[in-house]
Amino acid sequence: MLFVDLLIQGIVQGAIYALIALGLTLIYGLLRILHVAHASLFTLGGYVGVIVTNQTGSLTLALCAAMVLVGLLGMLIYRVAYRPLLDKPPLVALIASIGLFIAFEEVFRIVFGSYGISFHNPPLRAQIEFGGGLLLSYSRILIIVMAVSFLSVLAWLSSRTRTGVAWRATVTDPQMAASFGINVENVRYLNFFIGSALAGAAGVMVVLLTNLAEPTMGAVASYKALAIIVLGGLGSVRGTLIAALAIGIVESFGTVYIGHILDRDAIAFAFLIIALMLRPQGLLRAG
Amino acid sequence: MAYEIIVATTMAITILFALSLNIITGFCGQVSLGHAAFYGLGAYTGAMLTKAGWPLIAALPPAAIVAGSVGFVVGLASLRVRHDFLAITTMGVAFLFVGLVRKQEWLGGEIGISGIPAVQFGRPGLLVLSIICAALFAALAVYIKRSWMGFAFDSIANDEDTARVLGIDVPRFKLWAFVIGTSGAGVAGALYAHHVRYIGPDSFGFVESVTVLAMVIIGGVGSVWAVALAAAVLSVLPLWFQFVSDYKLLIYGLLVFGVMRFSPDGIAGAVQRLLNRRS
Amino acid sequence: MSALLSVSEVTVKFGGVVAVEDVSLDIGLGELVGVIGPNGAGKTTLMRVITGLVKPFNGTVALDGEDITNWAVDKRVRNGLALGQQIVKPLTAFTLLENVALASGCQRMASPLQALIQTKRDKELAKAGEFLDMVGIKSASDAYPSEVPLGYLKCLELARALALEPRLILLDEPLAGLNQAEATEMADLISSLVNETRSILLIEHNLREVIRICPKLYVQDQGRYLDFGPTSEVMANPKVRMAYLGEAKT
Repeated sequence: MLFVDLLIQGIVQGAIYALIALGLTLIYGLLRILHVAHASLFTLGGYVGVIVTNQTGSLTLALCAAMVLVGLLGMLIYRVAYRPLLDKPPLVALIASIGLFIAFEEVFRIVFGSYGISFHNPPLRAQIEFGGGLLLSYSRILIIVMAVSFLSVLAWLSSRTRTGVAWRATVTDPQMAASFGINVENVRYLNFFIGSALAGAAGVMVVLLTNLAEPTMGAVASYKALAIIVLGGLGSVRGTLIAALAIGIVESFGTVYIGHILDRDAIAFAFLIIALMLRPQGLLRAG
Repeated sequence: MAYEIIVATTMAITILFALSLNIITGFCGQVSLGHAAFYGLGAYTGAMLTKAGWPLIAALPPAAIVAGSVGFVVGLASLRVRHDFLAITTMGVAFLFVGLVRKQEWLGGEIGISGIPAVQFGRPGLLVLSIICAALFAALAVYIKRSWMGFAFDSIANDEDTARVLGIDVPRFKLWAFVIGTSGAGVAGALYAHHVRYIGPDSFGFVESVTVLAMVIIGGVGSVWAVALAAAVLSVLPLWFQFVSDYKLLIYGLLVFGVMRFSPDGIAGAVQRLLNRRS
Repeated sequence: MSALLSVSEVTVKFGGVVAVEDVSLDIGLGELVGVIGPNGAGKTTLMRVITGLVKPFNGTVALDGEDITNWAVDKRVRNGLALGQQIVKPLTAFTLLENVALASGCQRMASPLQALIQTKRDKELAKAGEFLDMVGIKSASDAYPSEVPLGYLKCLELARALALEPRLILLDEPLAGLNQAEATEMADLISSLVNETRSILLIEHNLREVIRICPKLYVQDQGRYLDFGPTSEVMANPKVRMAYLGEAKT
């Protein structure tokens, strides 16, 4: 049973990573920028989730609020931080993003305190039992269901709707897309909105699991998300998903079996480094 | 007097640390988001040796060698991946170092190493030693810049593939940059350990790597004087203004963002443009 | 007498696609050879095999009898080869003079240790001036690549290649993007650079100029050798005409 337990833990963790990493990969695919500040949006989502739930008692409302607010902030970041830097070498944007991320983290700490905030009444704590003594909390189930739903909706939108097709075209070839009349700027804003909203949702989900929204919660998740999108082959959605699950599972098993040598994050990064050395272009090339 | 000595020592050590990263990222253009790991390697090596009875001066070369050897290995990674990928790989190194050290009991585990012996000539002695090391390294940096190695580095930082087509053995030069830079960080780390007398894995993580990178960038990649200045100012800013200490990271973050947004070539670049406009 | 450059039975595959198939070619010292062929003939790929940017699936490349097939690009350049690329790649952070001086100091940077102990650049800067003069752009010595027109940058590619003091220069479409007058000037310049210590291999689409200045032509079509020999004979070869013009008119 330990195996299944670990596997599920790994999948849940991987699902969360996937939601965060997806936004990153969407943005990288479009702009070739590693958007480190993405993690701050994730953190903000967590805070909004807690605050709104505590105020209104509704987790659903909190989730929507988090996604919308964070999505809007993401668009703002694009406008203020990245758009002016599009003609500079990508490293400039990366470092600017790191600066922004650190600043945000500090703002959370200063405004909400170093110790974070929690739910007054942690929702979805109850667990249900599956055959063989396997206990799964409602929150974990919800996370998997939400992750799968979001990703499916996104996949459907991008292949069946005009907006989705326009978006895909812009990612593949912006100039060509522009000459077909697609408003590239709008696509970029949409991209940031969706990617950030997903991160916000992920933030709510993590707080659901840990019952704590604190300033540094974005840190490791973000670094790992970066590692994940690089591993998955920058810009490839499928690669990102595979890499996210892989890292979630590797971490889950790794901490149990080699946790006495390396801590959890080191395991994830060791996996990343080895994988990159073996396949420097990432697991899958950008679709 | 004692307080000023402490501040000055902090400055000297940080200058050395930043200048060492400047060789890798500034001169040779290889982004490294894990430089604090080498600082840590030097710190732990130095601390363990002096606790075993070695005088600090004798502990400096081993600190440099340990850091430089690992730096060589990490440098090999830079031959496989570039730019974004290299940034992430070096970031991974930062986490790997902390994650590994945290679990090793013989290195003090989570708690780290405390009771690191005082330097023989006390704080003034450490200050003098730190200044000498920083000055020597700065001189080395200026020399490299003027030499053909610096010329090669400049071309690699500008366009690796073209440098190769002009007959430059890019991989070897990159490795040299990594070894020189990480060895310098190792020495800085050893000095640091004896400055603060207590070290733990958390002092050498990703945030510290970003901080030192921020100094290199704010100074202006490649410029020795500007990076030294940025390092000196940023290292003691929190000490001078108490309230700043609490907002230190926020200021760092905003500074880094601001510099990248408005003057990506840092202070040095801004000064250069000012001079050009005058003449 | 071993040829300066000897390409032997080289085949290059990219994934499943054969870009170059079983090609052999010998160039001697002091020769100016044009490499021509219709689009997609694999000429650039052949060039990249010779310079070392691409590894062949089969076959060897030899310089002065020495097998360089497994040598890295920079090693070949340090040993007598130079490349002028189709898409010009100046070092944007350097002035034109510094670009050429870097090339001129190639041997000084043969190893990092060697490079570290040498600091003097005046000799190379002086030589750089001469090379810039040779290609006619000395006046722009202190300009940056972003400040000069394409023609100058093409001359810079040439000056840099010359500064490496090679025995063999490979030029990939040096006339591309130039108007007729400029192309003729550049072609004349290239022609003047060949001497008993230096050969030039020239890929070009501008047939008019190539035929005019190159005594010998090598023709490749769809990755395969088509013809090699004195220009007039090659151009009279019906197979060559067909490759370019399609079905011959009766």
